[in-house]
Amino acid sequence: MSVWPEERVTTIDSFNTVDMTINVGPQHPATHGVFRMVLTVDGEVVVDCEPYIGYLHRGLEKLTENHDYRQSMGWWDRTDYLAGLCCEGAYCMAVEKMAGLEVPERAEYIRVMMMELSRINSHFMFLGAFGADVGSFGTSFIYAWRERERIYDFFEEVSGDRMFPTYFRPGGLMADLPENYESRVRWLLGSINQGLEDLDGLLTGNEIFVERCKGLSPMSTSRAVNLGITGPILRATGLPWDLRKAEPYSVYDRMKFDIPIGESGDIFDRYFVRLSEIYQSTKIIEQCLEQMPKGLVLNPDLPKTLRIDNAECYIRTEGTKGEYGVYAMARGGVKPYRMKLRSPSFCNLAALKEMVVGNYLADAIIILGSLDIVLGEVDK
Amino acid sequence: MTQPAPASPPEYPGISGLIHKSLPKAAFTVLSTKTDADLQVAAADLLELVQGLFERKELAFDMLANITGIDMGEDKLAVKYNFYSFKHNHRVQVTVTVPWANRHVPSLTSIYGAADWHEREAAEMLGLVFDGHPNPKALLLDEDVRIHPLLKSHPLQTVEILQGIEEGVPGFKF
Repeated sequence: MSVWPEERVTTIDSFNTVDMTINVGPQHPATHGVFRMVLTVDGEVVVDCEPYIGYLHRGLEKLTENHDYRQSMGWWDRTDYLAGLCCEGAYCMAVEKMAGLEVPERAEYIRVMMMELSRINSHFMFLGAFGADVGSFGTSFIYAWRERERIYDFFEEVSGDRMFPTYFRPGGLMADLPENYESRVRWLLGSINQGLEDLDGLLTGNEIFVERCKGLSPMSTSRAVNLGITGPILRATGLPWDLRKAEPYSVYDRMKFDIPIGESGDIFDRYFVRLSEIYQSTKIIEQCLEQMPKGLVLNPDLPKTLRIDNAECYIRTEGTKGEYGVYAMARGGVKPYRMKLRSPSFCNLAALKEMVVGNYLADAIIILGSLDIVLGEVDK
Repeated sequence: MTQPAPASPPEYPGISGLIHKSLPKAAFTVLSTKTDADLQVAAADLLELVQGLFERKELAFDMLANITGIDMGEDKLAVKYNFYSFKHNHRVQVTVTVPWANRHVPSLTSIYGAADWHEREAAEMLGLVFDGHPNPKALLLDEDVRIHPLLKSHPLQTVEILQGIEEGVPGFKF
């Protein structure tokens, strides 16, 4: 018996490639949480992608239906946990819309300021993690974390918690800002601008980074709209659409800021739109500080137990990842009858397959990173 | 706990007047929510109406923002669709109510790519069946967990007991 049987000898004629299946996640640093995708590759090229989600499903909607309006606050800032205050804002606006509650002007300004700080926080997280995805290893992470820590310190000073402040209330805020807030925020803005400059120099100024991202996985505006993509990814395709301007809520109609857009919707545009948005957010915060009125921060007519009769609404806010919508329905009593979260990450992630197929395996990780998903929001 | 009375037919609040004008054949009645006009349409007429909303130039609802399934009680399920037009910056909500015994709703995946995951989620959470969906698998829950957690009959706290159950009406008391 020969060691190598005659029929096993490979010749060019019998050399066939087969598709190979690669599992990525659910525990994998490149998936930014507990997300799993099964990629089918032909050589180095991805031919199919099947995303699996739900590893972080906590039953947000069922929990909200079974708790009263005050108790549910804590669930909602655990959806987009990188920008908890944006989620709280949307939840509170839905409850206020249904109950017809007024929010004092000072509270609206503080909300906008805190929501923009959250947005900056979330975008810094993206810049740090995305830099690491593309290969900048740890430097971008450290630059981003330096600023995030400072913002979190401010959140802690204001509300007592860093990631999940539970600072908003239907009808206003938990408490007023600390006395020295203005100097703290102005110092924070200077520090954010410094961080922005550092990251811009590190990433945008890096030829390898730019070469890797430019032209990768471009997307047309019409396709993005049909797939339900919103937020920075939609703006990267060249559509200047931002809910803060298209349907202004809170006091955003009094703020002057620009909507950064991209050209082709490729990975670099998505990155650069987010980078520019941080700068626009700092402008909004500065205007908040200048225009901040004095007064109450919680509606004095707020009943101790909020009861809402038949009411229904769909509230849309510009979350950090796109349109953060809350569909809410009340049919009497102290609990909502139904609350549905329209999470931007969920809708953006649904388009992953279309973006990844046809690209190289190594680029699939970058494309996933460029979506900036938060699994708390995807899985609810 | 009663729904507000439907508006009388000639009254079309907000955007629904324009919709009625450009799609005179579409059969719907109009309610209004705190934020939107809410078109009530039968499941059989849904695709035709949505096709009209999508294609007519003066309506141009090019984005399907959200799909919500709701257990309305009394063996009824409702599906709420929120549409938005980037071109005209207007929005509308469409409601389909189906009985539990015949909980079939046509899928909108042929018109809106965004409908895919939203419909899969509503299907697993409430037991709705979206006819014509290309990939009607479970999305957030395990595939072998055949429960519909967002039904009102499903208890909040016995989820772990229910997780081994393969068949049957969810929400059994054990």
